[in-house]
Amino acid sequence: MVTRLRRFSRSKGLKAAAFILDVVFITAIMLQLVYLFYRDFDLEPLFVKEYRQSCEFIDNDLTPAIEKLVKYIATDKGWEQEFDCYYYYNDGEKFYNNISLSELEKYNYIYECNIQTWNYNINSANNVDGAKKNILYLAFPEDYIQQKQEMWDSIRTELVPIAVSFIISVIAAVIFFVYLIVVAGRKAEDDDVHLSPYSDRIYSDVLAGIIILTVYVWFFFTYNLLKRSRYSSGSLAIGMDQKVSLIIIGIITAIAAIICLDLLISMIRKIKAKKLIKHSLIYIILSSISNFIRSFFNDSRFEHYPLTKSLYRRQVIFTVSSGIMVILSFILIFINIFAGFLPVMLEAVIIFWYFYENNKTYDEINNGLQEGYKEMMKSEKMKVDLITNVSHDLKTPLTSIISYVELLSKEDLPETARDYVKILSEKSERLKNIVSDLFDLAKSTSGNLPLDLEYLDLKKLIEQTLADMGDDIEKSNMRIKTTLTENPVYIYSDGKKLYRVFQNIIGNALKYSLQGTRIYIDMEIINNRVNVTVKNTASYEMDFTAEEILQRFSRGDKSRSTEGSGLGLSIAESFTRACGGTFRVEIDGDQFRVKLGFPISVMAEQ
Amino acid sequence: MENTKILVVDDDKAIAGAIEKLLVMEGYEVIKAYNGMEALDALVNNDVQLIILDIMMPKMDGLSTMMKVRENKNIPIILLSAKSEDSDKILGLSMGADDYVTKPFNPQELVARVKSQLRRYLQLGAKDSINSSSKIVVGGLCMDVEKAEITVDGEPVKLTAKEFKILEFLMKNAGRVFSAEQIYEKVWQEPAYSVENTVMVHIRRIREKIEINPKEPKYLKVVWGIGYKIEKI
Repeated sequence: MVTRLRRFSRSKGLKAAAFILDVVFITAIMLQLVYLFYRDFDLEPLFVKEYRQSCEFIDNDLTPAIEKLVKYIATDKGWEQEFDCYYYYNDGEKFYNNISLSELEKYNYIYECNIQTWNYNINSANNVDGAKKNILYLAFPEDYIQQKQEMWDSIRTELVPIAVSFIISVIAAVIFFVYLIVVAGRKAEDDDVHLSPYSDRIYSDVLAGIIILTVYVWFFFTYNLLKRSRYSSGSLAIGMDQKVSLIIIGIITAIAAIICLDLLISMIRKIKAKKLIKHSLIYIILSSISNFIRSFFNDSRFEHYPLTKSLYRRQVIFTVSSGIMVILSFILIFINIFAGFLPVMLEAVIIFWYFYENNKTYDEINNGLQEGYKEMMKSEKMKVDLITNVSHDLKTPLTSIISYVELLSKEDLPETARDYVKILSEKSERLKNIVSDLFDLAKSTSGNLPLDLEYLDLKKLIEQTLADMGDDIEKSNMRIKTTLTENPVYIYSDGKKLYRVFQNIIGNALKYSLQGTRIYIDMEIINNRVNVTVKNTASYEMDFTAEEILQRFSRGDKSRSTEGSGLGLSIAESFTRACGGTFRVEIDGDQFRVKLGFPISVMAEQ
Repeated sequence: MENTKILVVDDDKAIAGAIEKLLVMEGYEVIKAYNGMEALDALVNNDVQLIILDIMMPKMDGLSTMMKVRENKNIPIILLSAKSEDSDKILGLSMGADDYVTKPFNPQELVARVKSQLRRYLQLGAKDSINSSSKIVVGGLCMDVEKAEITVDGEPVKLTAKEFKILEFLMKNAGRVFSAEQIYEKVWQEPAYSVENTVMVHIRRIREKIEINPKEPKYLKVVWGIGYKIEKI
């Protein structure tokens, strides 16, 4: 039940309806106010039923009558005029009256006024003392009051329904507004606060600005319209001019209400989501400024480098204190010209301290670097020694194995034993290749590959490699299509190593290409670099990435065990890099591409 | 060849033993030594015609041993080493070795190299070098231009006319590198146009005939990205 109610109360339809109704009621309130304004209604009839009891009566009838009479009494003139009211006055010597005392006493409402103190009150007891001095008695004729009362009632009958509907409108508008506030940002499904993807994107302060601007524009237009249209028609009923202005004001109010209400609710959603402040332009600007400033003083990134950290801290202290000194010297100069020099002297001390301490730290850093470098060299040498020793230790037993397998094959052996020896021979040969490749790779990746650099023609090198591999190419039944440059392309590199690179890449392509497909070797010059692409179509699905294939020992086909060490591409990559080139493998479906790039040597043109 | 004595020096007894057996099978007499000192002792007591010498050995390493031997002997020395860098080979050869074999070696290749060295040393006689105008000699290669004959360590080799011309051209200019175009124009007497493949095929065939291990040629070398040359030995 509760959830159903919640679901209903948070439904989109209800929200939209409440929104529209709220706008309607706000507009209605405004229109009623404007209508009242145009009609120039006095609101008193709404609260006072009897005209005689109203302020209107006192202001418009009683007070003017008293004033008039007092004036006449004081000057003793003008008694010939007609009066709306009856009066009786005795100043001790003379009587002024247009009604006899006995007549006067018949009236229910007799007003008694002491003209010296200007106090008046209703003589409800009806005991008129004709002998009292300086007391003015007043009474209004019944038909006169009756006439006024009728007018009063007619206004009242018109005002009451407006007032009632006005109050209802106000209450309704408030209720709907409160409802909208309560359900703002809530959805039927959960209890979280949901921000709208539209209006809530606007920064809070911009929202507030739009609201203020809207209210201002609304007020400006409405005010001008009201001013223009107010007195154009003198009668009680409103004229054409006012009707038009009413419609315009209604439309403007409705539009303003829609905008303000929507944006207000948006702000309320933000308040609920606790984002009102954070999602404001001012906050973002201020926080980014504060972050920027704070980043100057943040040394957490030097956490692992105590020396750099101390340098950094000193730098902050130096900068800040220097800044303070500058400001201080400006201030002090105004007080006393000599006092202005005091910060300058202090600054000199700070500069000395800064340089002295920093120089010490720089020395420490340099020593540390030196140590690190020595350490690195040492470990580098150990690495080389390790490779050499392990290489020797692996190759020596392997030599024995190969030699004795050879001797064994020369013995007079039974047929099966002969087969075994053959397998031993093949496998020991393969082991030999793997060990050899492994050490080439180890040397190359550890940066200990001796290079024999010279100017050579890459185009020629590729042609030579292809010619050298002629037998293998023929055996594999693959066709190689080359698109080489017209002219020689000179690079400064190690030819023997590059031969190894191309031998490995082309050998790979021959081994793993689909029968009947072609291997393409393209060569192009871009921006003083020569790029060589070797591409082939794999005979199997390449379920590995370009990175994986280059990882040591990973093989193109993991399932089959063919000859080779599986290090071919790794060696090619490593050698290429050692020779100053770039090496990239791309896998695109079944197409396997190796891309090599070398800087063209400028010396080549000679 | 029955009396040919070979000294095998290696600290690894298994390897020394294997080499001994391989050579004995070929009819040589073998003396073993397990370090440089023993090797020098063995040389005093035996008339050795060839030494197979490991480089990395305890007590006295191969290179020092070789220098001692070279003080009074001119016999062929084949260095054995697990070090496969070019710089190691060059160092060994420049210090007086006649050949350099890296471990792990192919047993048959080692035997072939032993035979080749012995042939050169025993038959031609390293000391009486033939110095005729019609003969070009580069290491174990000997070419008689007039007779159109070529021997490798004394063993005659048959080459086609083109192969002979290429080899003659390169041997005459041993140590110099020539591009495929230059070789083609010189040998074929025709303007060269995309001849890399043609020349390379011939180079490969020549290698197979004159080199013990064509994959690691001693004489006829490819200078990658530049051309071809006969190593000046």
